[in-house]
Amino acid sequence: MSHLNGEEIQRYADGELDDAAAIEQHLRDCAACANAVVAEMQLKRAVRDAARFMPSDVLRARVRRRVVGGERPWAWMAAAAAAALIVGGLVAAAAVGTLTSARELADLHATILASANPVDVLSTGRHTVKPWFEGRLPFSFNVPELAGTPFRIIGGRVVWAHGQPVGYVMIGKGGHKLSLFVARVPLPAGGMRGFENVTWRKDGLSYVLVGDVPRSDLEQLRARF
Amino acid sequence: MSMSFEDLAMPLFPSLYGYARWLTGEAHEAEDLVQETYLKALRGFGSFREGTNFRAWMFRILRNTFLTSRSGLRSMASLDEELVEEIADIGTPETHFVNRANGEALRRAIEGLPLPFREVLLLSDVESMSYKEISEALSIPVGTVTSRLMRARRRVRTALEGVR
Repeated sequence: MSHLNGEEIQRYADGELDDAAAIEQHLRDCAACANAVVAEMQLKRAVRDAARFMPSDVLRARVRRRVVGGERPWAWMAAAAAAALIVGGLVAAAAVGTLTSARELADLHATILASANPVDVLSTGRHTVKPWFEGRLPFSFNVPELAGTPFRIIGGRVVWAHGQPVGYVMIGKGGHKLSLFVARVPLPAGGMRGFENVTWRKDGLSYVLVGDVPRSDLEQLRARF
Repeated sequence: MSMSFEDLAMPLFPSLYGYARWLTGEAHEAEDLVQETYLKALRGFGSFREGTNFRAWMFRILRNTFLTSRSGLRSMASLDEELVEEIADIGTPETHFVNRANGEALRRAIEGLPLPFREVLLLSDVESMSYKEISEALSIPVGTVTSRLMRARRRVRTALEGVR
């Protein structure tokens, strides 16, 4: 079989080929075509990760109310009760399935710091970072004013852990960089192999601060929230 | 028992919101668009035939609602020259690996795509729709889905090359 053309690579990566046996045979023998397929799949994944938006719970509730409430008010109550059960179940399930160890968070912290593009929004203050999260996270959280403290907000991004969106804010103190993770599901606490960390819950959200600074610094920062 | 509108429609909520956000490029307009879509779909639910693709039907309503809005009409203007079909690429394309970490550059590249390319890319890569489903949602032939998707990805790659 000769090299794959652009359309074959695309259709293979998109899972649109009914019979892919011949193509898979060729991919086993041809590094150039295999690379092209990997690149195509990588682009798909990158687009998916970059393009994801999350609506707020407020909007979801409003739409649900308008969709259900207008026609059958009694059904809305039943649906709300059922939804509460389901959501409760999902949150419980998600809590079990997500970020089970503090080590995972420490790894995430280290990976982000080592990344060439650690944050998606750069900041000189909370007024650029907080609005950026709107529509990208299903919840909102307060980014405190840090002017007049030794800390400064560097930027933010959304990270995904086990299918759950987690707000990430990078905070600087001198030459050190700290990570703040915020999620609706409980985030793990505990030993992080050399990184200090402080964990707390507020208004139904889980916060974790991670960094290679003394614990007292993290406590001082925490007090701003 | 057949499923109610709510049972069918609410699970699509995050997807429809994300798509609306990419069509409008703005959070508040996206919220309005999603709400209007649900109300229209609810009113038209009687005409929805069971057994046809509900997800494609919902996306079609959202898109048509957007296209008849002011910003939708604006984004459709001056598109004619974009849609002249390029000759399909024959032969093995050069391999460009995408740096996954650079989310902001990628988002800008998607934003910069003309609407017909942006929407096939989002429906394929974010919503994991099949070409057939995309063709139903956008009311275009499957062949057009294939060629637009190819051109969308080529443009995104070119845009990312530019920022390297």
